[in-house]
Amino acid sequence: MTASPFEIEIPRGRVIEVQRDDTRVRRGTGLLRGMAVIWKHWKESFKLNRSYSQIHGTFTIEYPEERPRIPEAYRNMPILLYDDETGHELCTSCFQCERICPPQVIHMTQAKDPATGKPVPAVAEFIIEYDACMSCGFCAEVCPFDAIKMDHEFELSTDDHLRLTVHKEQLLRPISYYAHIAPTMWAEVREGALKKLQGNIRRRPDVIGLAPQLTEKIAARRAELAAQAAQAAQAAAATPAPPAAPAAAAPAPAEGRKLTPEEKAAKLAAIRAANAAKKQQSGDGS
Amino acid sequence: MYDMLAALINGTLGWGWPEWALNLLSYILVVTIVLVVAPLQMLFFTYYERRVIARMQDRVGPNRVGPEGIWQPIADGVKMFTKEDIVPQAADRIVHFLAPCVVVAPTVLMFAVVPWGPGMVPVDLPTGLLFFFAISSISAVGLMMAGWASNNKFSLLGAMRAVAQMVSYEIPAVLSLIAIVIVVGSLSINDIIAYQTGLIVSNRDLPGIPDLGLGWFVFTPVGFVAFIAFFIAALAEGERTPFDIPEADSEIVAGYMTEYSGMKFGLFYLAQYVLNFLLCAITAIIFFGGWQGPGVGWLYAQGITPENPNGNGLFNVLAGVLGVFYFLLKTYLFFFVMVWLRGALPRLRIDQLMDFGWKFLIPLTLANLFSAALWVAFTRWGPAEGMLITVGWSPVLRWLAAFVVTLAINLGVYLWLTRVYAASQAERRRAELEELIAAGS
Amino acid sequence: MLQTQELQVNIGPQHPSTHGVFRMLVTVDGETVIDLKPVFGYLHRNHEQIAEANSYLQNMPYTDRLDYFNSMANNHAYAMAVERLAGIEVPERAEYIRVLMVELTRILNHASAVGFMINDMGAWQTPLAFGMREREKILDLFEMASGARLMCNYFRFGGVVRDLPPEFIPNLRELLRALPAYIDELERLLRDNEILLQRAIGIGILPPEVALSYGVSGPVLRGSGIPYDVRKAEPYSVYDRFDFDVPVGKVGDVYDRFLVRIEEMRQSKRIIEQVLEQLPDAKGGHINPKARQNVRPPVGDAYARIESPKGELGFYLVSDGSTRPYRYKVRAPSFINLTPLADMCRGYKVADIVVILGSIDIVMGEVDR
Repeated sequence: MTASPFEIEIPRGRVIEVQRDDTRVRRGTGLLRGMAVIWKHWKESFKLNRSYSQIHGTFTIEYPEERPRIPEAYRNMPILLYDDETGHELCTSCFQCERICPPQVIHMTQAKDPATGKPVPAVAEFIIEYDACMSCGFCAEVCPFDAIKMDHEFELSTDDHLRLTVHKEQLLRPISYYAHIAPTMWAEVREGALKKLQGNIRRRPDVIGLAPQLTEKIAARRAELAAQAAQAAQAAAATPAPPAAPAAAAPAPAEGRKLTPEEKAAKLAAIRAANAAKKQQSGDGS
Repeated sequence: MYDMLAALINGTLGWGWPEWALNLLSYILVVTIVLVVAPLQMLFFTYYERRVIARMQDRVGPNRVGPEGIWQPIADGVKMFTKEDIVPQAADRIVHFLAPCVVVAPTVLMFAVVPWGPGMVPVDLPTGLLFFFAISSISAVGLMMAGWASNNKFSLLGAMRAVAQMVSYEIPAVLSLIAIVIVVGSLSINDIIAYQTGLIVSNRDLPGIPDLGLGWFVFTPVGFVAFIAFFIAALAEGERTPFDIPEADSEIVAGYMTEYSGMKFGLFYLAQYVLNFLLCAITAIIFFGGWQGPGVGWLYAQGITPENPNGNGLFNVLAGVLGVFYFLLKTYLFFFVMVWLRGALPRLRIDQLMDFGWKFLIPLTLANLFSAALWVAFTRWGPAEGMLITVGWSPVLRWLAAFVVTLAINLGVYLWLTRVYAASQAERRRAELEELIAAGS
Repeated sequence: MLQTQELQVNIGPQHPSTHGVFRMLVTVDGETVIDLKPVFGYLHRNHEQIAEANSYLQNMPYTDRLDYFNSMANNHAYAMAVERLAGIEVPERAEYIRVLMVELTRILNHASAVGFMINDMGAWQTPLAFGMREREKILDLFEMASGARLMCNYFRFGGVVRDLPPEFIPNLRELLRALPAYIDELERLLRDNEILLQRAIGIGILPPEVALSYGVSGPVLRGSGIPYDVRKAEPYSVYDRFDFDVPVGKVGDVYDRFLVRIEEMRQSKRIIEQVLEQLPDAKGGHINPKARQNVRPPVGDAYARIESPKGELGFYLVSDGSTRPYRYKVRAPSFINLTPLADMCRGYKVADIVVILGSIDIVMGEVDR
């Protein structure tokens, strides 16, 4: 610091002293000029104005009738995605979002195979406390499976506080919904997310990992498919059918114990893939 | 108004009622009308102000309750009524209760002398103008009561400011009106309106001008300066921006109203908006001819025939309706100006307000008083009063001379006063600064 | 002589014009202020302690909540501090985007600060409404880029979270076209306004020596006539590539601060125009691809400061080598600019207090932390 702090070198640009102009005798003209400005605003306000380059005209968006245009990147509250076609949730309960969440409002439990007791890459229960969520969007950013995304829905007010502790059933939205509200952002991640999902589906026995509101529907659909498959017995080699077949025959958990050879191979491959992914993540993480 | 009623009941309907019954009925009717009209005006004004100021700020304003939000003031009224009435523990309960009544009562009383249209004045007092201003200053007592009884520092500060402001701005208001009273020669509000016939020039000053009801005082230099001074003083009396110091929400919360809630607060609001209406109305009456306007006098004249000197009923009603329309139009226009000022200007500080009132407005209105006297001398005095210059001048020349002389005086005084006032303000700032520096070091 | 009694008035913490929960214990003699004691802490949220329990990235959204008008500026200062601590490079394009966002923040802050100040003077919301209109447009842009209007949480270590969306630049150009009209209109509305002059000239004078001794910064310091601007004094980011002037006041009163803010809006617009010129040529992406968000900086400390719209905003971080800051300290301009309030108010009227407070332009979220 130099001795006199009043002398500061200003590179590129100069110091300009504001024009105070406060010695002139004024006779009320400033007031009249100000009133003329206001008059112009009043006169122009009967027009509607939605342009960024205009300063006159009414800007009000009459909210409930007229909705504001929400940009794609808008983030309000986190939601979980599930696949429309298979009904599978994208979440694998990797706990990344729970760890990053600054106010610690995300809670989840990993699904376990009821037969073996081993963890399955699916989530059993997922809770977000919307009342304490700060909408920072970190959970959506860190999610390696693109399972958690930020919703555009902002009319969440309720008189029931407990309803703001949101469970998995209310959090789940179909991928098509997200693709609708944020088309380009979904297009960027679509391929990778669906590929990872296919890998995870193979490791999910029975109805685990299915969106709860769809579980019954999908079970019924599978039964239908299985009936068709039984009629056309030659179609045994089709890839999506084998995991569906045991569940379809009887959706009782007892059936989940018998793993077909194809399933075993798929599971093995998925575990390998998961390990590789984990390695990559930990490399990223540190 | 009473003779109209009497003519209606005894003449048109032929009931032949006794005098006392007529009197009783008409008084009750008039009081009822006034008591209904006052709150209705207040309700309309709140809505009107909110919509207009919203437009000035590129907003829409209340538009949800009813078509275009027209029932918004009713909804607000319901809200006011249903709110809890809280009286602070340390308050003087009786005075706290009485204060809103003391504030509201005079504002309603002031309606007694306001002419709504030709012949439509509840009481045509010969000293109507005096009554109006005498009554209006009573509300200052109510404000002080409110401020004192609330036992709150903000309330007290607000009440002190309100009383100081009202008392000191009554002087320029009345002084500017005296100029008009000098020209008219009467304190009766009806006489003042009757004077403003003609076209740009009052045809009392200049006989032979066609009567279009446009001989408003605002078109004369005396009237114009009086109008400006009076309107500024009216803003201060009605606590409107830039003089809304007593309830400056950014400084002393709500001034004397801080400790009021529910309907008591509503009464203060009522009093304020009714007062604003009355001040706008009186501005319209004194300087803009009240119900005078093109067509009113003409319609009256149409009904008058030799056998029917009081005029024809239909034409009288038409003229009355037109007169009320003109009056309300002018009044609402002035309220628009008040809202416009509120949208455009910041608020003065209390000492600056006092400075402005005492050092600028009062000298200006005093000079205007002098101009008014000259106006009367030029237009009406003859050798009997010692006015020898104008002997032999035609009325047009006399009027022109009066116009030029008063214009020169008023303009000169205005320019000189702005200079002196600016110099005094600069001097004051410098003195204050020196004081501050002296106190700081 | 009349016996007068001094009155103690509590302005705040619940008061229409204390800009949040701030309390001033004012001793008045009639309407003249004899003494003023600022009392704060009503909005204390334990920000710094919470930050020491969070990982570095987790603190980013919390910095939004310091000065909730200028979340982008807060993000910038914090990101710079962490980048210095962990040695993260920022690509050129990201720097330009950062400067763009912070200068937009400056415009919106000054627009609303001027509006709030005039509001405190008693203009019924109109200049504020006009300022808010421009602010809303800028917030629309922020929402486009970051996803949120106020709590942007847009900056990341080594850049920004995502690139500007394609519709951002056209909208920004539209906005820039309206901005001079808005500023000129504001000047026309207020600059010659006799009432504003009466209320602002000679009020709340802060002499330069006093301002320096209190460590005041930002428009308040420049209003007192000292051309100190961190963007010039210690150019950070890419500020050395832009031409812009530093407006200073003469007297140091409310009017000077008001004029300085208006002029700074113009200068910010100039900077944004230069950013738009240079942005297409900038190298690199919106974020350094090698930058780790889950940083574990080496043991050490770092201080980063920026010229936030309210003054010099600094973040001091001490790392013990873990994923969490060992010490986290914010040099909040609002807080430091607030300290000379009593000196500025003494001897003026009660009505001047709120105007002086408005001219300092504080946000309680930053003062109390």
